[in-house]
Amino acid sequence: MPAEPPANGGYAVAAYAVAAFVLLFYFVSLLRKARK
Amino acid sequence: MSAAVPPPSRDRARAVIRRGTVLSTIALLGIAGVYVLAAAFTPIEARQGVAQKIFYLHVPAAWSALLAFSLVGIVSVLYLWLEDPRLDRFAASSAEVGVVFAAVMLTTGPIWAKPIWGTWWTWDARLTLTLFLFFLFVGYLSLRGALHDRRERARFSAVVGIMGLVLVPFVHLSVYLFRTLHPQPIVLKPSAPSLPWEMLRTLLVSTLMFTLLYVGLVTLRYGIGLAAEAREAHDAG
Amino acid sequence: MPEGLRLALVVAGKDIRAELRSKTALLSATVFAALVLVIFNFARDPTALSAADLAPSALWVTFAFAAMVAMNRAFTVEREHDAIDGLLLAPIPREALFAGKLLANLAFVATVEAVALPLFVLFFNVDLSRSLWGILGTAVLATIGFVAVGTVFGAMVVRTRFAELLLPVLLLPFMVPPLVGAVQVTSRLLADRPLSEMLGWLRILAAYDVVFVTLAALVFSSVVDE
Repeated sequence: MPAEPPANGGYAVAAYAVAAFVLLFYFVSLLRKARK
Repeated sequence: MSAAVPPPSRDRARAVIRRGTVLSTIALLGIAGVYVLAAAFTPIEARQGVAQKIFYLHVPAAWSALLAFSLVGIVSVLYLWLEDPRLDRFAASSAEVGVVFAAVMLTTGPIWAKPIWGTWWTWDARLTLTLFLFFLFVGYLSLRGALHDRRERARFSAVVGIMGLVLVPFVHLSVYLFRTLHPQPIVLKPSAPSLPWEMLRTLLVSTLMFTLLYVGLVTLRYGIGLAAEAREAHDAG
Repeated sequence: MPEGLRLALVVAGKDIRAELRSKTALLSATVFAALVLVIFNFARDPTALSAADLAPSALWVTFAFAAMVAMNRAFTVEREHDAIDGLLLAPIPREALFAGKLLANLAFVATVEAVALPLFVLFFNVDLSRSLWGILGTAVLATIGFVAVGTVFGAMVVRTRFAELLLPVLLLPFMVPPLVGAVQVTSRLLADRPLSEMLGWLRILAAYDVVFVTLAALVFSSVVDE
């Protein structure tokens, strides 16, 4: 009988959030440097 | 000594910045789309659960970091041969963008590893190599930050870039030999030979978007470098 | 004797004589090595980790850091005396200049290792009766590799304000493959394992040396020339 997949969605959310943060942070910092 | 290259114009710098901003924005929107794709339109992997979806960010980020690094290495060789300052500007931009992608990989990696393998870090080939790339990038950028003569900075950076590129196969070999002696916890290879179509599709779209983001960010960063040089020349002249 | 080799020996001789006069690099590196070995002894839980288990790693970490201290000091001393400008004006082929610097750095690092090794034997209660030649050979093999890279990087960072910080940051990734190989071989030597178990690592060490000494020689002119 196939088992239920483990309930680890929290990790996925965390990883997606961190990745988004790092990429957006860098992009925004570049935009600010460009604006100077 | 190579002929003097005229400093870039402010207009050209602005044009490049604009192009980079547009490309990056499109890519970021694309990645947002990938988020939706991964969350709602891609099946959940039976054994690993929802956490497996980190795969769709982790692998493309790794690919982009490796692309950035390889280009820095290749361009470094070209610079020592041709001494074209444009090559050096590109290398600096690629290194900076590369370290960001490496950071994404090094943060998503442990977050993925913990639920799947029960440990935050493993010295497996991919994570270890990325850690090395990260340190090599950091060294490269630190050295650049400490050198102020443009030609000296370009030459020295190129040397580090080339040596870093040559180092990678040795790290790979050492990790491989190390692991065959010390078997690590069984790696669940999500990229199994028969990846279901929806998963493959999401992975490919994500890889495409990450590559586009690499191009966009490097263009943007390159333009910022041009603007800085234009400003310097204007202030000096 | 071929001219290039003679010039290399002249360059090495000059550096070695200068260092013997001031002794700054040798002294600081040797003291550093001794301290690191002592710290290793206190930084472990003796009930959890035996001296024998820790020994190969302790030895090689000590060698690695002491080598960095030695190389850094050697270049800094030279810069303080602006000695390199005179050297560059002379018509010495850059490969010979590199070879000379490499030989001098190897001499410094070898001296530090030669002092650290007996201390290591003493502090860690190691029996080298059967493995001494193997350890020495491994030391030579591994040291050549990272000193070659260190010679190039040392020449670069000496132009910056943060040389002491930048050299480790740049050099440590490059020290990992030789270090891993050296520790693996050393631990097998100390455990009296057969040669067949070490061949893979020894080959990596040798390949690393060949590749990086050649590469370093090739790029050295880019570092010292305008």
